[in-house]
Amino acid sequence: MFNCYISILSLLVLLLVSCSSGDRQANVQSGQKYESDSTLEINLDVKKYVLPNGLRVLIYENNKLPIYSYYTFYDVGGRYEGKGLVGATHYLEHMMFKGAKKYGPGEFDKIIEGSGGSNNAYTSFDSTVYHENLPVGSIDKIIDLEADRMVNLLVEPASFERERKVILDERLRRYDTNPRQKIFLTMMEAVFGGTPYGRSVIGTVDEINGITRERMLEYFKIHYAPNNAVVVIAGDVDADKTMKLIRKSYDQIPASKNLNSIKEGLDDNKRYTFRKKLGYSKDIYGVNPLPMFMLAFRGMPLGSRKGFVMDILSSIMGDGQSSHLHQLFVLGKRPMLTNISAGNYTLKKNGVFYISGQLLGGVNKNTFRKKLLRELYKVCNSDKAINKRSVQKTKNQYLIQYFSEIQSNNGMAHFLGLRENFFGDYNYYKEELSIYNSIDEHEVKKTCKEVFKPGSHVFLSIWNKNAN
Amino acid sequence: MKKFTACLWSVGFVINLVFVQNSHAFIFGDSLVEKYDWNGVEVIWVKDDRFPTYHISVYFADGALSDGKRRSGETSFMFGLLDSGTNRYTQKQIIDGLEYYGASYGASVTHEYTTYHISGLIRDIDPTVRMVCQLFKDATFPKNEFKKYKRRYLASFKQMVNDHSALANRAFRKISLDGSPFDKPVEGLRGHVRKISRKDLKKKLSYFNNKVKKRIYLIGPKKVLDIENIIKNDCNWTEGADFHREVNYKMAVKKKPPIYLVTVPEAQKVEIRIGRFLKDNEIGRPALREFSSSYLGGGFTSKLMEELRKKHGLVYSVHAFAAEQKSYGRAAVSTSTKRKETVRVIELVKSILSDAGGGKISDKDFNRSKSHLIGRYPFRFEKSASYLNHLIFLDHIGKDYDEIHKFGKKIGNISSKGLAVDINDIFGWEKQVIVVLGHKSAAKILKKIGKVKIVDYRKFL
Repeated sequence: MFNCYISILSLLVLLLVSCSSGDRQANVQSGQKYESDSTLEINLDVKKYVLPNGLRVLIYENNKLPIYSYYTFYDVGGRYEGKGLVGATHYLEHMMFKGAKKYGPGEFDKIIEGSGGSNNAYTSFDSTVYHENLPVGSIDKIIDLEADRMVNLLVEPASFERERKVILDERLRRYDTNPRQKIFLTMMEAVFGGTPYGRSVIGTVDEINGITRERMLEYFKIHYAPNNAVVVIAGDVDADKTMKLIRKSYDQIPASKNLNSIKEGLDDNKRYTFRKKLGYSKDIYGVNPLPMFMLAFRGMPLGSRKGFVMDILSSIMGDGQSSHLHQLFVLGKRPMLTNISAGNYTLKKNGVFYISGQLLGGVNKNTFRKKLLRELYKVCNSDKAINKRSVQKTKNQYLIQYFSEIQSNNGMAHFLGLRENFFGDYNYYKEELSIYNSIDEHEVKKTCKEVFKPGSHVFLSIWNKNAN
Repeated sequence: MKKFTACLWSVGFVINLVFVQNSHAFIFGDSLVEKYDWNGVEVIWVKDDRFPTYHISVYFADGALSDGKRRSGETSFMFGLLDSGTNRYTQKQIIDGLEYYGASYGASVTHEYTTYHISGLIRDIDPTVRMVCQLFKDATFPKNEFKKYKRRYLASFKQMVNDHSALANRAFRKISLDGSPFDKPVEGLRGHVRKISRKDLKKKLSYFNNKVKKRIYLIGPKKVLDIENIIKNDCNWTEGADFHREVNYKMAVKKKPPIYLVTVPEAQKVEIRIGRFLKDNEIGRPALREFSSSYLGGGFTSKLMEELRKKHGLVYSVHAFAAEQKSYGRAAVSTSTKRKETVRVIELVKSILSDAGGGKISDKDFNRSKSHLIGRYPFRFEKSASYLNHLIFLDHIGKDYDEIHKFGKKIGNISSKGLAVDINDIFGWEKQVIVVLGHKSAAKILKKIGKVKIVDYRKFL
C-alpha cells in the first residue's frame, strides 16, 4: 500500500499539460508550452449516502459491463494496536473470511466464488480494506454477507489457530527471506521508532504468537462498526435499488458507542511525533550478494501541503529513467547503481521520504553514500534537477496514473474509497488538483532544502557481507 | 445457517449474465473492432472513448526463439536497449522526451512472439509515436550505453538469489522443458548474455524491422488513427516482411523423473513446483485446461487452497496453471512452505491431484469452480492494455475474437467427468516433474519420497 498512495494522491483532474501543438517533429525539447485542455476534465458522478448509524455509502454507476466491484474500508490499521495486539489488525483481516453467524464458517469464499466473483483484502498502518469483484445479479447476497461479518464475526478457536500458522508462513515468505522488505522494516523502525509506525503491520513471530482470540474479539467490536466504515460500489448497479438493500442489511447494526473517544486517544498527534535521532548509518545482514540501500528523511502526514510538494520532489529525484538520480547514478558517465528510486510515503499521522537502490558490483557503499548525500545537499540550489520542465513532467505523469487508476470498476471504487476514508470526502481529488497545480519549482526547491538538511537522514544498507 | 447450495448462483445464470452480448460489444459496450491495412501491415483498432488516452501494441511474429541455442537473451537485450540513442538523439533526450509526456513504452518478449507497447495521453500521441519510430529506424546502441546496460543486465543474474520464487520458476522451466526449444528463459543465460555485442543487436533490430511480420493494435478514440503516416513513413518497417515463427521439435519424455532439489544458501523455506511440459499434440483446448487448473488452484475455494491453506495451515499461497502458447504449453502447481513441511505438502498435492483425476469431484465443488471461472473472466478485459493483449494472443494462435464470446459456453459444456479426465491427462502424478528450491538440508527430507537429484542454483543463471 505504501507506494500506491503516492501515485493515487498525485492525481490531477484539470491539469495544465504539455501540448505537441503543431510541431510535427519528434522534438524532444518540445512541450514547454502549458495550455489548459477541457478534454482532461473529469467529473465523477458519485452518489453518497450516510445511514443513521454512521455508515457512509458511495455508489458509482457504470453499465458498460455487467459487473461491479464492492469495497469496504474500515478506518482501523496497524497503528491502533496496543500492547499484545501488534499484528492483530492484519490477523483479524484474515479471520474475516472464516465465517460469521448468519452464513457460517467457510461460506464466505464459497458464496463469492460460486457467484462468479473473486475477493481479497489488505491491511495497512492506517486502514483495512476488503474488496470483491462480481458479475451482476449477486449484489443482495454480497451486501448481506458484508453486513453479517461486520457485526457477527465468529472467530472460531480452531480456525483462529490454523490461521496463525498461515500468517506465520506469510511473514516468512514476504518478509524474513526478502532483503527489500527487511531493509524497509528496518527503515520504518529507524525513522518512526517509539511510535506506532515504527513496527511492522504483520507483526514479528513473537507478536503474532502472542495474540489471543479474546483480545482480537474486543478489538473487532470496537473498530468493526458502521460508523467506522465506508462502503463503495462501482459498476453495473442501480443506486436506488442498491441503497434499499444496503439499508435492509446494515440499518440494524449499531454504531460503536465509544469509538470516537477511543480513537481520539489513538489519534493523538503526540503518539506519532518523531522520537528517534537521525544522522547515522547502519549496516544489516541480508542474503543479497549486491548491496542495497535506503536513505530516509523525515516526511509529512497525508494531506499536508508540504507532503504534496514532497510527492513532486520524490518524482523529480527518482521516478523513472529520466529522473535526476537515475540519470546521475544509473545512466551517468560513471554509474554506481543498477537502479534507484525515491518515494514519499505519506501516512495519516506522519511520513517518511526515502531513496532506495542497489549498488553495482565493485562500488564502495561508503563512497556512494557520501556522493549521494553531497548531491542532495546541492541539488536544491540549482536549476539542474528542479525546474519548470521537470515539475510539469511530473504533473503529466501523475495525470496518466490517474486515468489508469479509474479504468476499471475496481480501481474506481478504491480511488473513491481511499479519499472518503482518509479525508471524509471522495471529492478530495479536486483539492489535490488544486494543490498540485499551485506548486511551482520555487516551492519544490524550498522544500528540497528543508528535507535534505545535513544530519537529518538515516542511511541503511543490506548485504551478505555485512555482519550477521 | 443457510446451506451453501441455497446461496449458490446457478452456473447458467452466471453464463447468461456475462456472455449475452455480441462479441464486438463484449468489452467496451458500444466499442467496435475495425481493421486497416497500412502498407501491408494489418492494423486492428478498438474504439474506446472512455478516456483521453491510448494504448498501442505492435506485434512481431517472432520472439526469443530467434536467439538460437547459444545466444539466449539477445532479443530481450536488444529491445531493452532500444532507447539508448540514435544518430539524432542521446539516451537522455529520448527518455526525457518520452517521460515528459507521461508515456509508457517497452517490449514484452515471449518465446514465440514479441510485443512493443506505447501508451499515454491522446493529445501527445504524435510526438510520442514519432519518437518510438525513430528508435526502430535509427537505434545505434551507443558503445557507452551498451557497456553500462550490459553491466546492469549481468548484475541482475547475481541478484536472482534474492528472489527464491522467481529463481524456482527459472529452474523449473529449464528442468521441465529440458530438450525442447523453450527451456531457456527469454532473458537469457548469463554465459550467453556475456557474449552479446553491439553488432548482434543491430543485426537483431534489422531482422525485426525487415523480416518479421507485424500487426498493430490500437485502442483509444478515433484520433489514434492519426498515426498512420508516422507508422508508414517513420518506422522503417519493410513492406511485405512476413516471417512468422513456426516451431518443429521432438522431445523425449522421461518416464519417471527424479525429484530435483535446487540448492540456495540460507533458505528458511522451500519453493515447490510440480508440473510438466505440454507437447504440441496436447494443446488446443485452452478453456478446458484453464478449468482444470482453476479447479485445482485458481481461487480461495480451489481444492489445493482448501486443503493446504485452510484445512492444514501449511502454506500462505498455492496456485495451479495450465497455459498454452501456439506450439507448446506448461502446467504446474506452485507453492512454498517451511522446510520441515515439504514432504507433507508434496504428498497432499499428490493426493489432491489423484483424487480429482480419479473423478472424486463433488457437484458443489464442480459447479462453484465453473461459476467462479466464468464470472471472473470479463474482469481480465476491463483495462485497455489487457484487452489488447488478449486480442493479440488470439491472433497469434490463429483463433477468432469470438473465442472471448464462446468462453462461457465452452466452460458451461464441460462435464464433471470431462474435467476429471483432463486433470488426469495434465496433472497425472506419474507425468509430473518435482522441483524444490531450498537449503541443501532439504535433501534428507526429500529422500523419504524418492530419488533426489541435487543441483546448485547457479546452474540456472
